Amino acid sequence: MIVAQQKPLEETRRMIAPYPRVLILGCGTCMTVCDTGGEREVSYLHNALRVAQAKGGNGTHTFSEYTLKRQCDAEFLELLADKIKDIDVVLSLGCGIGVQAIAERFPDIPVLPGVNTSFMGMAKERGVWDERCAACGDCRLEETAGICPITRCTKGILNGPCAGTKNGKCEANKDMDCAWVLIYKRLERLQQLEKMRRYYPPRNFRAIPRPKRIVSKANLNTGGSNG
Amino acid sequence: MANSLFEEKLSSKEFLVTTEIGPPKGADTSETVHHIDLLKDKVDAINITDHQSSVMRFPSLGGCLLVKEHGGEPIFQMTCRDRNRLALQADLLLAYSRGITNVLCLTGDCVDVGDHKEAKPVFDLDSVQLLKMIRTMESGKDMSGNDLKGAPKFCVGASIHPEADFIEPQLIKFEKKVAAGAQFFQTQGIFDLASLRRFMQYASQFNVKILAGIIVLASARMAKFMNENVPGIIISKAIIDELATVEKGKGLQKGIEIASRFIKTIKEESLCHGVHIMAVGNEKVVPEILEAAQVVALGH
Amino acid sequence: MYSRVNYDTQEYRPNQTEKYSLDHSLMPPCQAACPLLMEIREYIDLIAQGRNMEALQVIRSGNPFPSICAYVCTHPCEDSCRRGQVDKPVAIRALKRFAVEFGGDRMVQAEAETTHQEKVAIIGSGPAGLACAYYLRKLGYPVTIFEAHSELGGMLRVGIPQYRLPRQVLDTEVQRLTHMGVEIRTNTRVVSLDLLFDLGYKAIFITTGAHQSLRMGIEGEESPGVIDGATFLREINLGLKPSLGDKVAVVGGGNVAIDAARTALRLGACEVHILYRRSRAEMPADPVEVEQALEEGVRIQFLVTPTRIKRQDGQLNMTCIRMELGEPDDSGRRRPVPIQDSNFNNVFDTLIAAIGQAPQTPSDFHIRIGKGSTIQVDPATLTTNRAGVFAGGDAVTGPATVTEALAAGRLAASRIDDYLQHRYPLPPKEGRKSLAGDLLPRTIEMIRKISRLEPQILSPEARAKDFGLVESVYDWQAAVNESRRCLRCGMGAEILFQDKCATCLTCLRVCPYHVPHLDTSGAIQIPVDQCQACGVCVAECPAKAIVLRKPYDRRQVTEELNHTLKSAAESKLKPLIIGFCCQYGLFGTGALASLWRKTGAGVWVVPVLCVAKVESDHMLRAFEMGAEGVFVAGCGEQCARENTADWVRQRVGKVRKTLREIGLEPERMQAFVSETANADVAQQMDKFSDRIGNLYLASIIMQEVKR
Repeated sequence: MIVAQQKPLEETRRMIAPYPRVLILGCGTCMTVCDTGGEREVSYLHNALRVAQAKGGNGTHTFSEYTLKRQCDAEFLELLADKIKDIDVVLSLGCGIGVQAIAERFPDIPVLPGVNTSFMGMAKERGVWDERCAACGDCRLEETAGICPITRCTKGILNGPCAGTKNGKCEANKDMDCAWVLIYKRLERLQQLEKMRRYYPPRNFRAIPRPKRIVSKANLNTGGSNG
Repeated sequence: MANSLFEEKLSSKEFLVTTEIGPPKGADTSETVHHIDLLKDKVDAINITDHQSSVMRFPSLGGCLLVKEHGGEPIFQMTCRDRNRLALQADLLLAYSRGITNVLCLTGDCVDVGDHKEAKPVFDLDSVQLLKMIRTMESGKDMSGNDLKGAPKFCVGASIHPEADFIEPQLIKFEKKVAAGAQFFQTQGIFDLASLRRFMQYASQFNVKILAGIIVLASARMAKFMNENVPGIIISKAIIDELATVEKGKGLQKGIEIASRFIKTIKEESLCHGVHIMAVGNEKVVPEILEAAQVVALGH
Repeated sequence: MYSRVNYDTQEYRPNQTEKYSLDHSLMPPCQAACPLLMEIREYIDLIAQGRNMEALQVIRSGNPFPSICAYVCTHPCEDSCRRGQVDKPVAIRALKRFAVEFGGDRMVQAEAETTHQEKVAIIGSGPAGLACAYYLRKLGYPVTIFEAHSELGGMLRVGIPQYRLPRQVLDTEVQRLTHMGVEIRTNTRVVSLDLLFDLGYKAIFITTGAHQSLRMGIEGEESPGVIDGATFLREINLGLKPSLGDKVAVVGGGNVAIDAARTALRLGACEVHILYRRSRAEMPADPVEVEQALEEGVRIQFLVTPTRIKRQDGQLNMTCIRMELGEPDDSGRRRPVPIQDSNFNNVFDTLIAAIGQAPQTPSDFHIRIGKGSTIQVDPATLTTNRAGVFAGGDAVTGPATVTEALAAGRLAASRIDDYLQHRYPLPPKEGRKSLAGDLLPRTIEMIRKISRLEPQILSPEARAKDFGLVESVYDWQAAVNESRRCLRCGMGAEILFQDKCATCLTCLRVCPYHVPHLDTSGAIQIPVDQCQACGVCVAECPAKAIVLRKPYDRRQVTEELNHTLKSAAESKLKPLIIGFCCQYGLFGTGALASLWRKTGAGVWVVPVLCVAKVESDHMLRAFEMGAEGVFVAGCGEQCARENTADWVRQRVGKVRKTLREIGLEPERMQAFVSETANADVAQQMDKFSDRIGNLYLASIIMQEVKR
């Protein structure tokens, strides 16, 4: 799940300041799941902006709301075509992908990001999200018993823990587990410690060069897919 | 090129003493030079730290040049936090060309603990990969397999944490560092000789030299602070209590006493091959410690 | 500051779920079990809010004589009440009595005018007859009730003792009919239907009940001192006082037998014995009645039946035989079988035979009679073999319950109307689907166990003295507490907008009762037979995809808020505080009532049905519309649903954070969700009101200073 957090209200207000008619656009998939940009949060933000505006005294914005099932597919974006006509800016509560998709599809209208897209992660419990994957493009979870050292180790190192681990926690953040302690324990449990004894050479940081592209269509000539 | 002085001493049976100097936060290196002059003849080599605790400072390589200029034996501490593999290889070429051939390979503290918390952490390599890279360069090739015009040669070391609370993964990494080519190890601060002994029982099978790290504490408060905030430091309660017994202002004396006590014992019992004194800002008291511990550097 | 209420701002909110007015609820088991299909869930909820008059309106919409049922209904609803799966069923009948007594029943008068010409005759004034008269009169027909006795009511009058159904309750109900214009002819026994047709009646409803006592069929049954139960009770209820002597025996095990026994006690009999041929478990009488009879001193001999009666020295010498239970008979109960040579003798002054009643229909009516002397009818239309002649109640079914008779009367009225208007008698339309299924153990575990509050009963000594009412009515506190035990079966949450559901699992995680679950295809299911309709998932769903199947009273928090804001705008009162206040428990009627009376100007209450439904959105909107302060007040830990106070606090915290970001004082948003709904809350609200007032004044001063 892509996890994001709403931007502080002050920042959002500053961004929308030059635009009278604002469309607050929610997303019904990842942003709904992480309770950041779904229909409910769109409504809440709408209210908050209006209260803020009333408090400020000189209210100049009019707001409208809409939520798309997803912002990252062209077909869904088509549903916006009519609504775009009567507004000055789209305040998107979708992830960075959504914001860019809207900007690409509707080049004549400015799009603002209402959330800070943060990571790919999972819910530990409701309301608590942990990052799990950095999308490195070269997954090595086989070697580390299913625990990603690139994401869960602050330094992203591959050959075992640094000296900063204390009580199984990371030197950077005492609430974070040291990934290598976790990896050691699980490899031990699976009786696969020899995987940790191997030397792992430096990462290929450009496994898929940025901006990445994956082509999954089968190619008639080469016969391959998954480019 | 021939072995460095330090490398020679490594192969001898002498009790080794190294220390470290933290470079200045700024362009004024006068105090650093003063410390170098103070210590160069009393120790076997001087480490220059590399943005220790992720605090931006005068570079380690620059500090090593100063040590060399003033007649000391430098150890170039190199972390992977700030430079990618191109920059690391380049700096090593420069170091070699200036006669700086002792390198301590470290992963490096994370940026979050330092004073530039928003910097981009690089960590293109880790300490093990850095060791391997150096050995590759020595064979005349760079990391990508291209030929080097003039291959360097180094004496390389790494760090180890015998007092880690969960020691097994650290030992696995230790072995990987040895396999990657480390010749000597400077440990994190030792405060409990029993764990040093346990570690040495295991480490003595390897053909590497272990120098016990000795931290000079100045007060109980400093000890507690380091415990909380500095990565890799675990100071036992007994030491903190000992420091707490003295009155204000006398803390450093106590710290000197504790440090020299440790060094003396380590030397007398040949627990390991030497010590690495970390004075953390109190470099001036290192000679006093050495005297109290009745340790004299080889050849002086 | 922004103290003027801005209600005229147009909102463009295209995603609002306007479909809230749909009712997807299932019929709860209580309603399905009731012969009258009363909307029990609805009126119980109204009682829980303290809205007795509305509760009574709901009751009256399905039952023209609720006071009667409130005393003597056999409550099949309670037997199917699913609260019984948790602890004990909700005391529905007692609550209905509370509503009837406190809901201003006496003030309710029904009005009717004649819109049809066709006259209808109703023979018999028992509950079926009275109900039929009521409904036909409401439809506009001229109705005449013919009653053989001097007073109306049928078994209600002559069968049920006054300590169960007081005389004036019945009289009040009957008076209503008179007021409506129903013609009543008492002391008039109908002997011929043809005569009625000749008199101009176009339709006849025979509801003569079942008053003919069955005979025991034993020797000596005709002796003086032996009376049948129905006659005995009738004489008592009509004012006679037969002398019974000291020792009285009652034969039988139904309600009539129990009634007769307890009546005999009250008339002064020293010993009253009930002789029943089966065991206690098979007794058809209401177990509560049996228990009360035993408490009063009635003795019951089980597995005993008389075989012979002989009058001797002014007393009755009864020979009885003991029984044992054999194979089950038609009724499903085990047949009693006499034990050989187990005869024994007993002497009594009076014997009351109450082994059952049967209808008795004059042969001159020329209608087909069936088994047990009951009138044969088409069950769907209640028509007999004669055109225009309908029959219902005990006369058709044999002795049954009051409520079934009322239902028959209601059905007869609509069928008679069909007949008179020449409509084809279509079968009744499919009602709402009934809720089936039991509560799962994991749901039951999370439901707070609250014991059932029984209404107060007089002590056995006190009550055996006279015919005063045995059972007293609830007080307010008791009624409200008991009604809050209702689980609201069938109106729980459903995912109305499946396309919006992102399967984020929030509803699954927040439900205190573990109701939503993933099915095998990975979609969320919220089983209607488990959901407790607390509303938490509705308020927390990030996609706003969940609704409650039946919006309470068709009201939503949003609508209530809009309404309040509009009213506030019109009144121009400042400063403006808006409070979302729970209507349940005594919160709505107790603590809040005092608050409404004494708070200063400008506090506007948005009534909500449980504060779990108040979303952060609502709270913020109140500010947006000009409120200076907003609070949420609820039952706290006393809430009938779990964890609701936590949710309120979380949402209030979120709004406070937003207020801070906007630059407003976070204390403008308050939650009053304490452990007990007591006077302290009103005090806290007063303090809050003062503080907001001060903040407002301060801001006015600031504005003045700036100028």
